[in-house]
Amino acid sequence: MSPVLRIATNELRVLARARVAQLAIALVVALSAVAALTAITQGQESQEIRSRFQAQADREFDGQPARHPHRMVHYGHFVFRPLPALAGFDPGVDAFTGSTLFLEGHRQNSANFGDVRQSSLLVRFGQLTPAFVIQALGPLVLIFLGFGAIARERDSGLLRLHFAQGVRAGQVVLGKAAALSVVAGLILAPALIALAWLTVFAGAVPAAALMLAAGYAAYLLVWVLATTSISALAPSSRTALASLVAAWALSAILAPRLATDIALLAAPQPTRLETDIAIQRDLKKIGDSHNPDDPYFTAFRASVLKTYGVARVEDLPVNYRGLIAMEGERLTSALFETYAERQFADQKRQSGLALALGGVSPTLAVRSLSMAASGTDLEGHRRFLRQAEAYRYAIVQRLNRLQAERLTYSDDSNRNSDPEAGRRVRIDPGAWRQTPDFVYRPASTAESLAASTPGLLLLGAWLALAGGLAWAASRRLERAGS
Amino acid sequence: MIGLGQELRLFLRQRLAGPTLALLAVLSAISIGAGMLEIRRQTEAIARIQPLQAAEEAAVAAWVSREGDAGNAAYYTFHATWDRPSALAFAALGQRDVAPYVLRVRALALESQIHEGESYNAELALPGRFDWAFVLTFLAPLILIVLLHDLISSEREAGRLQALQAAGGRTGLWVRRAGLRLGLVFVAVAAPLALGAGMSGAKAAEVLAVLTAAGFYLAFWTLVCVGVGALGRSSVANGAVLAATWVVLTLVLPALAHMVINRANPVRQGVELTLAQREAVHAGWDKPKDATLSAFFKVHPEWRNTPPVTSGFHWKWYYAFQHLGDLSVADQVRAYRRGLESRDAWTARVGLFLPAVGVQTALHRMAGTDLAAQLAYQDRIRAFHERLRRFYYPYIFNETPFRKGDFGKAPRWAESG
Repeated sequence: MSPVLRIATNELRVLARARVAQLAIALVVALSAVAALTAITQGQESQEIRSRFQAQADREFDGQPARHPHRMVHYGHFVFRPLPALAGFDPGVDAFTGSTLFLEGHRQNSANFGDVRQSSLLVRFGQLTPAFVIQALGPLVLIFLGFGAIARERDSGLLRLHFAQGVRAGQVVLGKAAALSVVAGLILAPALIALAWLTVFAGAVPAAALMLAAGYAAYLLVWVLATTSISALAPSSRTALASLVAAWALSAILAPRLATDIALLAAPQPTRLETDIAIQRDLKKIGDSHNPDDPYFTAFRASVLKTYGVARVEDLPVNYRGLIAMEGERLTSALFETYAERQFADQKRQSGLALALGGVSPTLAVRSLSMAASGTDLEGHRRFLRQAEAYRYAIVQRLNRLQAERLTYSDDSNRNSDPEAGRRVRIDPGAWRQTPDFVYRPASTAESLAASTPGLLLLGAWLALAGGLAWAASRRLERAGS
Repeated sequence: MIGLGQELRLFLRQRLAGPTLALLAVLSAISIGAGMLEIRRQTEAIARIQPLQAAEEAAVAAWVSREGDAGNAAYYTFHATWDRPSALAFAALGQRDVAPYVLRVRALALESQIHEGESYNAELALPGRFDWAFVLTFLAPLILIVLLHDLISSEREAGRLQALQAAGGRTGLWVRRAGLRLGLVFVAVAAPLALGAGMSGAKAAEVLAVLTAAGFYLAFWTLVCVGVGALGRSSVANGAVLAATWVVLTLVLPALAHMVINRANPVRQGVELTLAQREAVHAGWDKPKDATLSAFFKVHPEWRNTPPVTSGFHWKWYYAFQHLGDLSVADQVRAYRRGLESRDAWTARVGLFLPAVGVQTALHRMAGTDLAAQLAYQDRIRAFHERLRRFYYPYIFNETPFRKGDFGKAPRWAESG
């Protein structure tokens, strides 16, 4: 038996006999299992609720009676953000973003009814998910079970005995790290089962699940190596425990909150109200549809008349009011897009800044990888917002076109004074049924893998650093032993 | 018998004692600074919207007053509301980063306006803010553990325990030493808060209440540390047990409680009521006008005897079905509200057993940044919206022209109440 293997099996035997170790492992495995079970069932439930609501909204849209198309523009449509399969593993920002969006003409509403505003302040203590258990609690169990691995044997003189038998310091470090890796495997096991289940039964993308498994394995390995190294380097097991718990508190508790505050400070964002007003002002600068002599809309009318070769809007083969609605919608949508993209860019900058602080916290690195691979990062929400806006624009313009093509200008202008015209402007509800439903296109495998790359690279750097630390610890131990 | 001053000198001579306390004081000061910056940002945003809002109103007034159509005035004029942070909000930012603290409303149906959200970076909201409540709840106990886990065991390990107990009395010594550490930690945490509270003009009684809550919370952790230490295990074992206790009490159990509470109190009514309200409002376009108006007159009989609606469209009828849309979901609004309040009430109950939850509940209540504060802001918006409706109704129902001067008569958002 090689010395490394012998040291590892001995350490495992000690751990298996220790009541504290049994308790800690049982506790974290149980928590991980509970978290995985509830996260998966909860994910399925919210997905079911959302598709039920979506079906209801689609049905209600299709079932509207004969109406003026502009009534439908304001009746609008509700869309719901579907929950990706891997949200059962890491719900990410799902609870922190609204899951439903009301789409209507010339307005851009916010996504509402996110769980964060519907929860008490408990939501800020963290959500019990497989991701949370491994990110926050996993390292702590490794620390509790591993801080004494080498320090204890040095305190008791056992280490000297190893060296006397010709065992090298590197082999001790490697053996202890191997034993602790087994513990890490136990911590990871329920999560891996959950990932496998989600891949087989819930249609999660295998590559993304593999990315998650690899990321979390690397993350726990960083802590295995750090714990073993500190145990070798610290002057006593007490100092080892203290410095490891401090490192954990910094990485898992302190850094994420500090990163938030620093990122928000460096790149503050305007409130929604200010953005709304800014958009209204920009719009008015282009043209004011309430002003009959507005130069922009006068020029628009002239160009329409020229295109159709007529002298008056009454002579147009299409309903001029519909054309105005389409032009107005085109203008507002362009502004919505400009402002939304500016906001997305700001938020990306904030998130990038926060991730850069992953340089001090492997937890931030694994969190970024985890949410990106699960499709529950902010980019996933942005994807929903972008697609919803594109859908909004498409259905609103479709309705405006109906107004332009199926209604006559004179009916549309006299609909309130002439009851007959008022009846004629209500078009057949078959048009609502022909309006396509919203279909959300989730991130492709390549996209979600690309999004998790920065986190993976950071974790790789951490792994290299932890490896270097283990090597340095072996060297120190070797010198001290000889 | 050694005096407290002597104990202090002994304590500060320990290698880690001074730096640990200093670290806590610095973190506490940073959290106060960060909280005050955030609150200043929010206050500035509230100040910024006033002139913006006035200019918007003037622009609407410019074209609406040409025709003097009150329906247009009510339709196009947004009215700003805001929720000014309390003097203590900087200490516990709570929900103010995800719930809007400025919101504009119109005299249209309210349920499609009041649930609007703020735009924020959800990835940054996820871990929460680095505020004083966080430092007190999560970090201060860790510092206490560092300072107290070896209170007794270190003396035993150094072989001084017998002599000390003979000289100082059995309990008096430990009470004094633990009390000294508790006091120092309290000062390190509390001093920056007191300073910040003074700068933001918080009332002395409120600050005292916050500090009392903090004192009880820190005293709880001191007792836990001393209790574990008294069991006679080694310093290392004490450290491990205390750290594990900390994880269970501040991370694991609150997260479990959150999961159970949210599952036991589902709040789907929020989405349901917005879907239902839209149906009710838009069905108004297709219902006979008389039916809509007579339903409205049941609620607002004062407008019953105004001129009848004869044309295809009239604002009277429009605003009537807007309001009826809100009324049609009143039950769901109440149920939704009850669900949210029930979640909050259960959290307070959990707080009786989990000190970390208890202290957070107390701090956020006193700072006015919890769910209850968010709901109170919504109540004030509802009351304001009612005033807005009642302001526009006489113009609309009596068909009184709405002139430039009338814009200035509209109700204004009152800071409190």
